[in-house]
Amino acid sequence: MLELTGLFQWIYAIASSLFSSLGLSEIILDIFLMVLAGAAIIIFLALMALFLIWWERKVAAHFQDRLGPMMTGWHGWLQTIADAIKLLQKEDIVVANADRPVHFWAPVVAFASCFMVYAVIPFGKGALAADLNIGILYILAITTFTVISIVMAGWASNNKYALLGGMRSASQVISYEVPLTLSLMGAVIMAGTLSTGQFVEAQGPYIWKWFVWPQFLGFTIYLMASTAELNRTPFDLPEAEQELVAGFNIEYSGMKFAMFFLAEFLNMFTVGAVATTIFLGGWQPPFPALSFIPSWIWFLGKSLFIVFLIMWFKWTYPRVRVDHLLAFAWKVLLPLSFANLILTAAGVLIF
Amino acid sequence: MGYFKDIANGIYNLLLGLKTTGKQLPQRAVTLQYPKEKMPMFERSRGIVVLLSDPETGELNCTACMLCAKACPVAAITITQAKDPVTNKRYPKTFEVNNLICCFCGLCEEACNFDAIKLAGKYEFATADKQSLVFDLAKLQELGRDVKYEKKRKAVAKKPAAKIEPKEKAAAAAPNPEPPAPDSADGSGDTL
Repeated sequence: MLELTGLFQWIYAIASSLFSSLGLSEIILDIFLMVLAGAAIIIFLALMALFLIWWERKVAAHFQDRLGPMMTGWHGWLQTIADAIKLLQKEDIVVANADRPVHFWAPVVAFASCFMVYAVIPFGKGALAADLNIGILYILAITTFTVISIVMAGWASNNKYALLGGMRSASQVISYEVPLTLSLMGAVIMAGTLSTGQFVEAQGPYIWKWFVWPQFLGFTIYLMASTAELNRTPFDLPEAEQELVAGFNIEYSGMKFAMFFLAEFLNMFTVGAVATTIFLGGWQPPFPALSFIPSWIWFLGKSLFIVFLIMWFKWTYPRVRVDHLLAFAWKVLLPLSFANLILTAAGVLIF
Repeated sequence: MGYFKDIANGIYNLLLGLKTTGKQLPQRAVTLQYPKEKMPMFERSRGIVVLLSDPETGELNCTACMLCAKACPVAAITITQAKDPVTNKRYPKTFEVNNLICCFCGLCEEACNFDAIKLAGKYEFATADKQSLVFDLAKLQELGRDVKYEKKRKAVAKKPAAKIEPKEKAAAAAPNPEPPAPDSADGSGDTL
């Protein structure tokens, strides 16, 4: 089969025989395997970010009856690689009077936070780096680091537009964190666990058992709130190009800018992956008869579908005003997610 | 209840927006991949000036009558006249079009009585060398080889002779602002 489990077992067998022949202890083997898993995830994420940037451009173009990048490779698939090479060559400029250490660490925090989430994402059958028993809590805690990186970037840049973008982002992300968390809690009550691995098992390979149906309100609130968390249209006030030039990342250039850019797109995939794990049955096929297709293809397909939805939002909705943005979070999403939570809890208690 | 009505209305409108943009997605892109795909130029589009040749003999239609040079408002055309000693026909010894000052007005084409000069629908002559945009006789003839044109001269010749005269005067009237224009019109009449 094309499942990843076989590959992992093969790597484990090779590594353990190699380490025992070298006379090294089990702890070193464990550390080696952890580093290997981390490296595998980071390579996957880098490729995924490159793919997502290309895909966003193609989707945007086709929504506007254009073609998008076409010249480099088949339908321009090499375009993001060319752009990345260009960004690597660029001079790294740090503005005068910038808070240098904070300016340096902001993109690192942005990239690290979106990378750390993938420790608990089940990519496929047996492809879960760490099955924490507080997986959902871990995801929610780590994704909030993004706002710290944005505020750091806005503050350290010594630029009023960057600072405005950072402050807007702080107010926005903290407001939307509440309905985002509450929207997931309904599903958590139904599954009775916080572990992502058990979440997938609780839903099973039956499309009618997935939590998206009983938790449709929660799913919708999660999509809306996470679009706001991602700072994407219609909630893209932190990087409103027309008002703030580029928002928090205005003073960043070269590879530091690329780190922010990649982190932004990877966060989008994170939202897709989390929505897939919690609401769409994770790596499970919709029907048991379709399980001949490898589980990681189901996972990627569902996640990319959510990403496509978010891209669709971007090319449909205009930006909202800042007071509407906060009113929507506190007056609409928060009461609805509370209602969803209470109804789900009552339902679980009764049935 | 207005609160829930607002929410329902909002959801309806959001879905309406998604439907509107979703309809655009499967539509064919209108983009033309320019260097690979080119739009066919229209028959009367005014591109660069070319000299037309007779499709059968391959000889230039031009008789070096200087009408086009006189009609040109920016004096982009320079012609040196010569006479063939055997056939006693006039032909252009040199013919230069300075595309740096050509304004693509098409007056030379209108002035010509012999289907010899035309603003063909050709473009793409960008270059880094300014002087290479002054086209000489050979270059202009080469550019005009594959240009299709309607022979207005033959069509006129088939008609009775009485009708030719006013047409010629009308053609000669085009460069009228200049006093020597009628003279050159007479000259071209001789070669006919």
